[in-house]
Amino acid sequence: MKRIVTAVVGLLLLMLAGQFSATAQEDAIAKTNLKVGDVAPDFTLLANDWQPVKLSDFRGKKNVILAFYVLAFTDG
Amino acid sequence: MAKLEASDTVVLGISLDSPAANAAFAKQIAVTFPLLSDMNRKVLTAYGILKPYDVKGDKYEWAERTTIVVDKEGKIQHVEQGNGAVNPNSAVAICTDLHKPKS
Repeated sequence: MKRIVTAVVGLLLLMLAGQFSATAQEDAIAKTNLKVGDVAPDFTLLANDWQPVKLSDFRGKKNVILAFYVLAFTDG
Repeated sequence: MAKLEASDTVVLGISLDSPAANAAFAKQIAVTFPLLSDMNRKVLTAYGILKPYDVKGDKYEWAERTTIVVDKEGKIQHVEQGNGAVNPNSAVAICTDLHKPKS
């Protein structure tokens, strides 16, 4: 009996631990509120040649992949 | 990249580095697409992807690694965040798919 109780408690603890680490991982990502189907908020930013680039200029012409990276000269 | 050009897709890299830093970075990694500079964090804020970082006790806010695919109508087709967003394969696959004529 004692063994079964220990097993059940152990299992519960494992499940709880799993849940906590899952939450922690989710918190670690700065999640965007934007969803599939939303219109991407327009912007104009300076490119590396100092020329402005406007997202909506590609409308009707190109698909655009926005690749946000942390910092230049780092791995991503 | 050739796959992307064939699927009518452009890539825009975005970070809060200066255009000068991005120019040097672009040269170093030999990218052919523009690297955009969000120095005042307006786009990172609008897209809700500013992430707090702690470096030696000081707090910073930089971009979360994020890949967003925007179709020709300006609509978002795909969002990927975190370390998985470094790998562009799924974004490329989606753009190739968007390029196929709709039946």
